[in-house]
Amino acid sequence: MKRIGTAVRILALFGLPLLICPFAPAQSLHMPPHQKFVMRNGLTVLLLEKRGVPLIDIFAMVKTGAAADPVGQEGLAAVTAALLRKGTKARTAQQFAADLDYIGGSFEADASTEFTGISAEFLTKDLAHGLDLFSDALLHPAFPQKETDKILAQSLDGIKAAKDEPQSVLMLYYDGYLYGAHPYGLPPDGDELSLQHIQREAIAKFYEANYAPGNTIIAIAGEFDAAELRKKVEEIFGAWPSRTVTSVVVPTAAPAKGKRLLLIDKPDATQTYFAFGNIGTTVNDPDRFAIRVVNTIFGGRFTSELNEALRVESGYTYGISSRFDSRKAPGPFGIYSFTKNETTTPAIDLALQVLQKLHTDGVTAAQLDSAKSYIKGQFPPSIETSGQLARRIVTDEFYGLNDDEVNQLEVRVDAVTPEIARQVIQKHFPMDNLVFVLIGKASAIRPAVKKYADKVDERSISDPGFWPPPAAAQK
Amino acid sequence: MNRFRLHYVLALLLCVSGIGVPVVRGQSQEFPVSTRTLKNGMKVLVQPDHSIPNVALYIFYRIGSRNEHPGTTGLSHFFEHMMFNGAKKYGPGDLDKVMEANGGSNNAYTTQNVTVYQDWFPRSAMSLIYDIEADRIRDLTFDPKKIASEREVVASERRLSVDNNNFGLLDEQLWATAFIAHTYQWPVIGWMSDIEHWTMEDLKHHFEMGYSPSNATMVVVGDVSPEEIFQLCEKYIEPIPSHSPPPPVTTIEPEQLGERRLVVHKPAELPILMIGYHIPKTDNPDYYALNIMRSVLFTGESSRMYQRLVDKDQLALDVSSQAEPAFDPTIAIITAQPRQGVDPQACEKAIYEELDKLKSAPISDKELEKAKNTRLVEFYREMQTINGRANTIGTYEVFMGDYNKLLDAAKSYSAVTKEDVQRVARKYFDPNNRTVATLLPENDEKAKQ
Repeated sequence: MKRIGTAVRILALFGLPLLICPFAPAQSLHMPPHQKFVMRNGLTVLLLEKRGVPLIDIFAMVKTGAAADPVGQEGLAAVTAALLRKGTKARTAQQFAADLDYIGGSFEADASTEFTGISAEFLTKDLAHGLDLFSDALLHPAFPQKETDKILAQSLDGIKAAKDEPQSVLMLYYDGYLYGAHPYGLPPDGDELSLQHIQREAIAKFYEANYAPGNTIIAIAGEFDAAELRKKVEEIFGAWPSRTVTSVVVPTAAPAKGKRLLLIDKPDATQTYFAFGNIGTTVNDPDRFAIRVVNTIFGGRFTSELNEALRVESGYTYGISSRFDSRKAPGPFGIYSFTKNETTTPAIDLALQVLQKLHTDGVTAAQLDSAKSYIKGQFPPSIETSGQLARRIVTDEFYGLNDDEVNQLEVRVDAVTPEIARQVIQKHFPMDNLVFVLIGKASAIRPAVKKYADKVDERSISDPGFWPPPAAAQK
Repeated sequence: MNRFRLHYVLALLLCVSGIGVPVVRGQSQEFPVSTRTLKNGMKVLVQPDHSIPNVALYIFYRIGSRNEHPGTTGLSHFFEHMMFNGAKKYGPGDLDKVMEANGGSNNAYTTQNVTVYQDWFPRSAMSLIYDIEADRIRDLTFDPKKIASEREVVASERRLSVDNNNFGLLDEQLWATAFIAHTYQWPVIGWMSDIEHWTMEDLKHHFEMGYSPSNATMVVVGDVSPEEIFQLCEKYIEPIPSHSPPPPVTTIEPEQLGERRLVVHKPAELPILMIGYHIPKTDNPDYYALNIMRSVLFTGESSRMYQRLVDKDQLALDVSSQAEPAFDPTIAIITAQPRQGVDPQACEKAIYEELDKLKSAPISDKELEKAKNTRLVEFYREMQTINGRANTIGTYEVFMGDYNKLLDAAKSYSAVTKEDVQRVARKYFDPNNRTVATLLPENDEKAKQ
């Protein structure tokens, strides 16, 4: 039983990335040097040598994700990724698993909204074998019908299993209710109906259309000799034929106006899981450092104002946090927590008061100093391993950011003043326009929670899909 | 530890893989550890690593839910929360505020066996952290108001990890059925009625019982030198007097003489199956063979159970095994989530068939080699962060009696033979030695009534 003290862990609990504070600490911390080259077929490669343990990590990003799923076939990008290792031109799924497990290696692939991420890890001594497996899956998947059927059926049951744990689906409902039919509102892993409409042909087509060297960034980090590795990489991935890819441009969604609330009924719940907020901002927002600092104070750590009020002072919940899930286009901002049925409205009321107080009182100089120290002090372990570094350099490349995100962090964080914080609060933290999603026992909480919104929608957690209700379910 | 949270496993879980792993090239040179035992009996282990300007500090107290009694179950875990709620110098709320304002963060976890406190901080905060730790070990205070609100926090934690989590719920029932005598039978978080009723006196008694420096081991890994840590310990920790450790847990779980079965009916989309087998405590020679056996069965998509249940027969969404480090004989748990429409008994049957194969014929050379390779990579995964190292070194020290067993682990694992694997499969995975727990979905209509 963890104390799950810090907000970092609360986020982990909600399935969010652990890295909430991508800012650098003291001057001593810098991104390790790494090289970048673009191959003739358009593939971007990043190599980062790191000593310590004899491990090598690869992270490849295909710059197309679930946002490209056709309507009614949500989950297509995710299923395509899951099938990469399930049979290639050279290996059956079983052979791939046997070869990978024999070296103790790992291989994972999944699609998030904006991109598909494929990662692998193995010992330095197995570099050749590891690269062979990785490139085999990425370049030569065969999508056997039998394996496709299995993955689709397992994914469908995976959605059902997730619905048995409200906290693991809260954000799917929240993003759906916040964005509606906008690509950021669609469930990246699909739903009970969409998965039934995905055919092998569509998967193969999705792969052909999007998995191309010009649409991919690969980083390799760990204990190796970069000059030697570069040769190997050029040899292996140079054979990947270039293809033209139509890139997906996600439109900017306008923040919600007014107040609306979605109640998801889970009749046996003894605890209400809630999320509220509005559409937030982009990864590249010039205010991003100030937003991080203010959000650390508001809901990004154990002693945040939200956690002090709802956990430490009142005991309403085990934990509450707020988070900007910033993306290329404005991503969701939300406040996430849970509380027993009886304290549902007292807890939400209190969270709203804390938000109101942020707007009226702003933050103090002492709070700013504390948050700055916290961000800087907690940053180094987020770029400690080869796996973390590989992922970081690829995502920075994808979002058009550079090493200054780390190297200049202290300076940028320290530049945030109470006045800048005030402006950021007014601009980025919603107050009057809010979207609420609650998962809980509707019969117990329905009458009381109606007060939060002018418009209330309701579904049962066992109804297929999330929000909006899948087209087939509406008929 | 997180046997409650199978799906939210954080970084350092030893559950699935068992403790750490072997190593080929000399660990002593690779990961040198300096040790000192303070005059009050606390042992301190230090491993410098200057790759980032940060430090991970762990304190393991040898007290957990196995030291509790009916009526106050969950007290160790509740006490863990109270360790953050005020002492003499750093009053209620101060600890977290001061630590975070200086760039640090913290957490803690409680298991059946130990309560572990974790600090992660930039090296600049080092003496502050020692001041904070010394304050709460020496002079913890109990504010009735804090006890009341923290009780609610823990109740919320229980609702999250057990009452509204089908895996947590079934796991709790499994332990309660597999153990009839030993204190492993109750949940680490405690029964809800106990959470509601323990008293200030219970807390004070728990502190006196479990929190003697001599009952603790400190591990520090990161941007430090052993000398400076030993100096800080001499200044802050050594003056704290020791007292008696917790009374020994003398109850021995009697041998299980026949299969036990239990069923939980609950609204759910999918069923769950858990099977527990009694196995020896961690510090037992069969530990290594058991880990190799579990690796062959459960690790990776080429493992026997995955191939059979998930891939070939498509009976389960996933299948895994857990076994926590333990001071006393414990259980290894096999967990499977049957696919929709699949009778959990079909999963059960397939699992038994795979166990029988293991008992009747030795594993292949390649399987044995694969399991050993897997352990090696897992070891390096744990050792690649200062946090993982602190936890692994401490866990070996506390559960194996000596962190040097890390060095022996290589030898211990390579000494495991195919015959050993077969022998432990036969010895421990016997039908009479198992408890079978099943969660069966009931429909929503029934729940609404």
